[in-house]
Amino acid sequence: MTTLLQVTGLTKRFAEKTVVDAIDFVLEEHTSTALIGPNGAGKTTTLSMLTGLLRPSFGSVNMVGGDLRANIGFLPQYPQFHPWLSALEFTEMVAKLSGVSAKKAKQEAQKTLEFVGLGNDLHKKIATFSGGMKQRLGISQAIVHKPKLLLLDEPVSALDPVGRREVLDLLKGLQQQTTILYSTHILNDAEEMTDQLLFLRDGKLVEQGTLREVRQRYDEPNYVVEFSTVEEAQYFVSQSTFKCTVNGCYVSVAIQEDKPSMQQLLESLTAYPYLVRNVARQTASLEEIFMKVAKRV
Amino acid sequence: MSGMNVLLQKEFREAWRSRKFLWIPLVFALLGMSEPLTNYYMMDILEAVGNMPEGFEMLMPELVPADLLLATISQFQLIGLLVLMASFVGAISKERSNGTATLLYVRPISFASFFISKFIVISAVGFVSIVAGFTASVYYTIVLYGTFEVDTLLASIGTYFIWVLFVLALTLMMSAAFKTTVAATGAFIIIFIGQIIDGLVGTFWTISPWKLPLYGVQLIRGTMEMPDYWWSLVMTVVLICVCMSIGVFSMKKNASLTKI
Repeated sequence: MTTLLQVTGLTKRFAEKTVVDAIDFVLEEHTSTALIGPNGAGKTTTLSMLTGLLRPSFGSVNMVGGDLRANIGFLPQYPQFHPWLSALEFTEMVAKLSGVSAKKAKQEAQKTLEFVGLGNDLHKKIATFSGGMKQRLGISQAIVHKPKLLLLDEPVSALDPVGRREVLDLLKGLQQQTTILYSTHILNDAEEMTDQLLFLRDGKLVEQGTLREVRQRYDEPNYVVEFSTVEEAQYFVSQSTFKCTVNGCYVSVAIQEDKPSMQQLLESLTAYPYLVRNVARQTASLEEIFMKVAKRV
Repeated sequence: MSGMNVLLQKEFREAWRSRKFLWIPLVFALLGMSEPLTNYYMMDILEAVGNMPEGFEMLMPELVPADLLLATISQFQLIGLLVLMASFVGAISKERSNGTATLLYVRPISFASFFISKFIVISAVGFVSIVAGFTASVYYTIVLYGTFEVDTLLASIGTYFIWVLFVLALTLMMSAAFKTTVAATGAFIIIFIGQIIDGLVGTFWTISPWKLPLYGVQLIRGTMEMPDYWWSLVMTVVLICVCMSIGVFSMKKNASLTKI
């Protein structure tokens, strides 16, 4: 893995309020990183500083082997366009502004618009576009110059489920070509398309790592056994040597240091004539981990 | 400079598609032709619609072409400038508040390029408007009153254009520095209150950008004190440069206010 971006002590203060507080992280090339956190955590402010729109109060952002502004593509949460331009005119214009030569710009713009599914709408005025089409156009303007780093602020939160799926698939396709840092509060998306997680809370980076690492840190794995009656469930808990909690017909058996194993649990269940309906191992979803991190003091 | 060319193209395209290149010059042309025509046909107009008492006679002053040009400039100074300023006072602030600036500001382009490209295009609209206005005025003045000397006429139009450049630079600077409503209020106050102050107590000084429109007419009359003219011109050009510098600085400083 090669480091692409190094963020050190990045801080933003507005008067007395610290919105982003000395965060450090590294982005490796061709990885996808999700910046997650509750509303007001500082996600958009962080992205604004990375784009250069907002000047950090302290700290630095270094792109390895290149100028940051020339190598980023940015998609805001609600991208706004000049409505009197066509999709092709707009994408060609931003391609040229991002350094693509005048000769290639039109060709690249056309190719990119086709890639995002706007091939049939090249000459339509942006004023006539739907929300989903604007989001696609937003992606096309962000990638037309083939940036090394793609910064996306809540890229799918304003879309309906169909549009969300389409845009997510598009972004997954881009993972091979570029490095992606995106903010989101839709945790299913983060779970689907993430190599690294950055949890922000009150401007501080409170957790970071791969999905697997973070899960290991916060997961409280357990088995859930479904009995046919409440009495059976209660009887199992009273007889069991495992750490159990009962909730109606369901018994939750805690797993600590990989014990008990599924084998041990099944053996204990077959020792009595229980009518067991289901046994499953459960791991925490990203949402549960998010809630834990968000509430952690 | 390639970025500058692209931005110029964008600004021209915007001015063209919003028809600013058409309707603003049209307003100036109408203002320009109204003065010589209404003055020449004033008696006929009064007789037709004036409902004047019988035997009423009005002594109309003998007007020379320079008087008509001064009257035309007075029209430009109020309605013309109002139209120009209102059309362009949101050029930067509106792009910032509606978020269209965001996708441009993240590109590796200097803020000077953004500002200058806008200034060039609104100056072009201003130039076409002035040319349309003066052409209409001069045409009817020549037909109805008499001719001008071409060189002093061109000098007068050029002088007025420098004044308009100052108005536009100030308007754009205010747009870069403030929100649209504050920018509009500030620009209107500086230009129009400045005109009122210059009209009321302007005899105490002879060098000021606000005097340029009048000096342009005095060039035609041949009564201009040239040192005052040149110093006012220099002062205006310097102020244009100052407005542009502050505008670029403000644009950069306020880039973070763009809606994300």
